[in-house]
Amino acid sequence: MKKIEAIIKPFKLDEVKNALTKIGVQGMTITEVKGFGRQRGHTEVYRGTEYKIDFLPKVKIELVTADEMVSQVVENLERVARTGKIGDGKIFVSSVEEVIRIRTGERGKDAL
Amino acid sequence: MNGGKTPFDKLGVTKEELIQIRNRIAGSSTLLISPEEALQEYSNKLDQLIRRAFQLAQAQESVGSVCLIAVGGYGREELAPYSDIDLLLLHSSSRDEELSPFIERVLYPLWDLGLEVSCSSRSIHECLKMAQSDLYIKTSLIDRRYLDGEYELFRNLNDPFSKKILYRNIKPFAESLKQELHLRHKKYEDPHYTLEPNVKEGIGGLRDFQMGRWLIRVRDETDRWDSILFPDLSRRLEKSVRFLWTIRIQLHLLSQRKQEDFTFELQEKIAPLLGFPDGTKGIEKMMRQYHLSAQRIASFAQDLLNHILREPSAFRKTFLFFRRKRIDENFEIAFGEIRLLHPMALKRDPTQLMTLFQYCQSYKVLMDFRLEEAILEALPFLDDRFRTSEKVNQIFLSLLRRGETLGLLLRKMHDLGILSRFIPEFSEIEGLVHYDLYHIHPVDLHSILAVEELEKLKNGFYEKEYPLLTTLMKRLEKQEILFLTALLHDIGKGREEDHSLIGSVLGKRIARRMGLSKEEQEWIGFLIQHHLLMLEVAFRRNLHDEQVILRFAKQIKEVHRLKMLYLLTFSDIRAVGPEAWTPWKNSLLMELFLKTSHLLEKDPLGELSSQFSSLPQTSEYLEYLPLRYLSSYPPEEVAHHIEMARSIETHPLKVEWVIDQGTRGKLTICTKDQYGLFSKITGCMFLNRINILEARIHTWDNGIALDTFWVEDLTREIERRLEGFKKDLHRVLVEKIPLNDLISKREEPARLTPKVIPKVKKEVKINNEDSDFYTLIEVIGEDRMGILYEITRTLTDYGCNIHFAKVSTLGNQIIDTFYVQDEWGEKITDRFKIDHLKKALLHQMS
Repeated sequence: MKKIEAIIKPFKLDEVKNALTKIGVQGMTITEVKGFGRQRGHTEVYRGTEYKIDFLPKVKIELVTADEMVSQVVENLERVARTGKIGDGKIFVSSVEEVIRIRTGERGKDAL
Repeated sequence: MNGGKTPFDKLGVTKEELIQIRNRIAGSSTLLISPEEALQEYSNKLDQLIRRAFQLAQAQESVGSVCLIAVGGYGREELAPYSDIDLLLLHSSSRDEELSPFIERVLYPLWDLGLEVSCSSRSIHECLKMAQSDLYIKTSLIDRRYLDGEYELFRNLNDPFSKKILYRNIKPFAESLKQELHLRHKKYEDPHYTLEPNVKEGIGGLRDFQMGRWLIRVRDETDRWDSILFPDLSRRLEKSVRFLWTIRIQLHLLSQRKQEDFTFELQEKIAPLLGFPDGTKGIEKMMRQYHLSAQRIASFAQDLLNHILREPSAFRKTFLFFRRKRIDENFEIAFGEIRLLHPMALKRDPTQLMTLFQYCQSYKVLMDFRLEEAILEALPFLDDRFRTSEKVNQIFLSLLRRGETLGLLLRKMHDLGILSRFIPEFSEIEGLVHYDLYHIHPVDLHSILAVEELEKLKNGFYEKEYPLLTTLMKRLEKQEILFLTALLHDIGKGREEDHSLIGSVLGKRIARRMGLSKEEQEWIGFLIQHHLLMLEVAFRRNLHDEQVILRFAKQIKEVHRLKMLYLLTFSDIRAVGPEAWTPWKNSLLMELFLKTSHLLEKDPLGELSSQFSSLPQTSEYLEYLPLRYLSSYPPEEVAHHIEMARSIETHPLKVEWVIDQGTRGKLTICTKDQYGLFSKITGCMFLNRINILEARIHTWDNGIALDTFWVEDLTREIERRLEGFKKDLHRVLVEKIPLNDLISKREEPARLTPKVIPKVKKEVKINNEDSDFYTLIEVIGEDRMGILYEITRTLTDYGCNIHFAKVSTLGNQIIDTFYVQDEWGEKITDRFKIDHLKKALLHQMS
């Protein structure tokens, strides 16, 4: 099993969610996050006063999926979340050792 | 009793029978029968059981004189099916060790039946001592009820308890109740408890009501709490309490335990049991009634507490008597409260009611208890005359304009029922809830909370966290309009239709009734209709796309409306619940606000959209046309351009011109956009010796480039040159012949030594401040043949994509402005790159 974490632009969330549900992703966790990468924050000026925007708002999607699904999920994420501009975000894939569904105690793939 | 084989039937009742008894309460505790009877019946049944247990124990164990007393809820005969049963064993002297086997004999059979019984044993002296220091013991003793045993003991407790403890001094008692209430409410402030309220301990729960009862008992020495209230009020309060009890009984029975949280699961189960319609609608209806009931109970308890605690001492009363202040013929301020001088004043002239609130605001005082009763009596007199009275409306608006203690005043108006008499539309949203996790508060409360959020901004409460919003609010003109809009923004909720649309209609109607100007009515209507627009755009659209901002700006039209919408959006989200507003949402909304305000302040777009919406043939294309483009051409020309755009679906390039005075021409080029297009066009002009005076290039959102050039040829051969240009451009764009091949093939025409003319200074300015989406490159220099081609080729070589250009010639000077982005569609911000580009452009011009 793999955990996929993707940081994407906020307005892409609906599209990404639809694309992932379509290919059979059962569930995901969404978090509103802020941060910066190469696309630094910036300063906005309004009527001579500066308002600093240090961190840029993004959305983090986390999901755990069976190994055979990983490439399909990543491919969809990449395709849908891309605008071709700076700040499109990143996808991280990492291994997951165990998954347990708390209610039933099921483990491994069954618990996904 | 059948031999007493098992402890279960010792009392002649089995566990199952007890459950049956409880379930019978369920049958009777729908809304058809008042729950009091069910409660009493259950309590009577328990009395029998407990008495029997007590008598059995007395027969087996000899103890001195003891008396069994029911305390707390059981003492009041108000016992929910699975509530704890509290008993007190009163004895004449302290012999605790001797009593415990006896108490065990009483309790064990009851425990075996699954009853949660607890029993404490105290002497009278102990009771009195502990009641002095312990609020819980004190309040549970208020509700004491004799069950069995030595009645003399019970009587001996009564007198000293009432005289020494209960009626001694109400203020410390009220003070400790207030603390208890405060702590308890704090626990239930968490928004989840608004969605899944605790019927017993939550805000406006049954404990609050009980607290009010204790206070009345102590202050007025009566159990008839309803006798001291205004009849209408006590009737409504009674109904509310009854409703909560009905729910509490169902909660207990369905969960078969002491369940006081009204969870979603149980809401779904209970709504149909109480006769509410099926599905979400029914649940929402039930919860609405719940919230209205809880609101009533909460304000009952709170008001009582306030009045008791604010009541000045006799000494102070005399002192303050001389400091009474008469405000006008109807009101005076005394003891820090505003009072009515003539009991009939409000009925005679209901408009005085609004004046009263004005005094509350300006003198910062609360209302006298009796004054509130007078208001309740005057409510039926608040009719259409009141609602349309200029005086009333002017005062109401001035309250909003002043913006102090606004939340407090509106809450009071709401609690007393004035708000829904003054704005009848408001009664539709009272207590209205959404059966979901996001909307925490009922709509009426949410609306008042939104007003309070704006008030906090105005008072500088958020100065550190949200400096921009604070400044905007402080400097906003006509704040009363925004306050009013916040109060009314959800007025359309609870109906089938889109609540923003219907709300807008209602909002305008209310504004008209209040005598606001046409313009102000429109503002309110607009803001209510679009109160969700800004957050939709901010959270769901790409704010780096200029078209998104332009389209949004086109809908908003004026900076003033944008500011109000931004503030309204803030207050609306914050009033949803403490978790709804996040720094994340804050940044997105701020970005949208700043970008849009930059745009609106630079060029007002107001008239544009209305001008072009009258063009029917443009409708299918209109969404693709950038505003900057629309502002450059009259509608007829736009219509013609669209025809050209249609034709390039079959012919990839369309070039048209009009000759003026033999030497000048206006040239229109339409084709699919491609990288370096502008440079290719100017290159082909250079090839044909056409001098460019002015150029406007635009790219539509559907990838069509539409460029207009004003050109000149002093040799009067313009027609022939333009034909040549058209052929060359076709070769370059359609046949894909590299432009350089064409240029190198043409021989350089013999040039005369140029005439000496005044030098023009060269300048290149690159600026990233004027646009949120493009880098602006301004080039000033000496005009010569082919200069535009060279500049645009340099820009293209440096990876600049030209989106829009304005080229003009003044004498021998050119002033060209290019709106460019890099290959990634971003502004060019790299210092190093900017310097290089600047140098290269300056070099081109020498």
